Amino acid sequence: MNVIRFPNLITRLPRTRRVFCRSLGSSIPFDLSLDTQVDRYSELNNMYTEMFTQGDEVRGTPKGDAGIELSEIDAFNAEIADTYNYSPQAISGYSLEHIVKSPGRFILQSLSSNPYYNLALEDYVFQNTTFAKGQPFLSERLLFYINEKCVVIGKNQTPWKELHLDNCYEEGYKFVRRRSGGGAVVHDSGNVNYSYLTSRDNFDREYFNKQIVRWLKEIRPDAAIHLNQRGDIHLGAYKVSGSAFKIAKGKSYHHGTMLIDADLASFKGLLKPAHLEGVIWSGGSVESVRSSVKNISEAGFNNTDEFMDICSNGFRSLLHEDIPVYFVDEVNTSNDEIAKTARQLASDEWLYHSGPSFTVTIQEHDVSVEKGTITKSSIPDTVGLSFKDFVLSLNAGLLAEIKTKI
Amino acid sequence: MFRNCAQSVLKLSSRSTPRLFLRAQSTNALTNTQVPFTFSKSGPLAVKYTSQHEWIAAHEDGTAFVGITKYAADALGDATYVELPDVDTEVEAGDSLGSLESVKSASEIYSPLAGTVVEVNETLNDSPQLINEDPMGEAWLAKLKLRSLDDLSNDDLMSLEQYEGSLKEDQH
Repeated sequence: MNVIRFPNLITRLPRTRRVFCRSLGSSIPFDLSLDTQVDRYSELNNMYTEMFTQGDEVRGTPKGDAGIELSEIDAFNAEIADTYNYSPQAISGYSLEHIVKSPGRFILQSLSSNPYYNLALEDYVFQNTTFAKGQPFLSERLLFYINEKCVVIGKNQTPWKELHLDNCYEEGYKFVRRRSGGGAVVHDSGNVNYSYLTSRDNFDREYFNKQIVRWLKEIRPDAAIHLNQRGDIHLGAYKVSGSAFKIAKGKSYHHGTMLIDADLASFKGLLKPAHLEGVIWSGGSVESVRSSVKNISEAGFNNTDEFMDICSNGFRSLLHEDIPVYFVDEVNTSNDEIAKTARQLASDEWLYHSGPSFTVTIQEHDVSVEKGTITKSSIPDTVGLSFKDFVLSLNAGLLAEIKTKI
Repeated sequence: MFRNCAQSVLKLSSRSTPRLFLRAQSTNALTNTQVPFTFSKSGPLAVKYTSQHEWIAAHEDGTAFVGITKYAADALGDATYVELPDVDTEVEAGDSLGSLESVKSASEIYSPLAGTVVEVNETLNDSPQLINEDPMGEAWLAKLKLRSLDDLSNDDLMSLEQYEGSLKEDQH
């Protein structure tokens, strides 16, 4: 079964048949481990995925009581998981292509923690979602991914200005530049990233966050969760979520972080303050807005799966449709386009050599940088160097006349 | 299934006022005191608009200026950074011509027609706010040498009236 959680399948079965379904489950005639997914049974599995993702077959029945139906399904799935040690299986790259390029709504949950893969996956869905001009847009998509430890800056930021890169490397945080705007954030396995895709015409910076606040408040009405003036989700006076947006080719996405139970103490020393002694940055780089953060576990939401389920169920009832969930991962769910984007996102070219031109003043020296390369400098023999290499030398103390580090 | 669909459509149309464009009201005509207009004595041959909210003002010698419309600039909010294309880049219609960041959103900008970038508006590097102040004039993004003036009659491009009509349609 490549289609996991198969709520649609189950909702179509009468209650009495569920028992039958379970007993069938106990004698699954094939191995669900990843290895066999890739080779022997992949064709068979893809065939089923195809069957279950085409047209009406997959669209379920929930009407007014969608919430009840779904929580029953979730309980049932949890029972299956417990009984048969069942774990989510990722769909194939072929299946992903099919659902992305077909009209219709779906939810994707990535089982991969590689930030470059996850951003490439998001970009693939964004670029390949199609729509007909002049028709209502009915292909909203919702993605979830949880990245391993990483620091993420906006498209138009300067990494050395925003990050203590040496601390990031030492502490094992990967450096990532995303394709949307905004400022620098830190991720770890206690942070859920959500990404809501819709048309450019329906784009509204606050729309999806308002829904999340509403869904969370439905469960815990007393929690001090609200949107602040910038449209960010706050718990009391603390930020628990940050947002950024992308608009291209008639479509838009809003992606955001939600700190569930992140190791906030470890985030110290990764992001730079707005000013550091002896170093002045000038240029068009987009500024980060510094905020005090908190985990939303302090309001009782302490499980990343729970948060994704709340949003998935909320998304379904919002759109009055039993929207299917598909799982994806780096091993099973890739294609040339995703792999290529992931490589680009992880390349020095994108990470260090793109972004705005800038000039940095270090002590009495001015260094101007365009596309990652030093174009003007009052420090001898540095013009033409990559700024990344220059900073490595500087911080290693190889430039005797300059004591300040970047 | 059909009932679900119908419900979704209803739901959507009940909130389908495009919030992106709520604030956008004012004119999308070219500013007639700035270089995109004054480049030739008699003014531009034609000013056309795209569905992605770019404008292009083309002059008799094949030079054209490209920018984003007042409508889009208002809707996107305060611009914080403009990514300009490289001079000498050859573009096809629909190719990327840079991007605009405003309030945490990165928006791609596309070339309305094929041509070569001959100049970019460097003042936007230090003053991205010009995008909000005069998007239809002083905040032009790129100057192109068009491949062919005949492309101006391309069906994908709209006149000012057609463009403003399309905005009203979107708001229903």
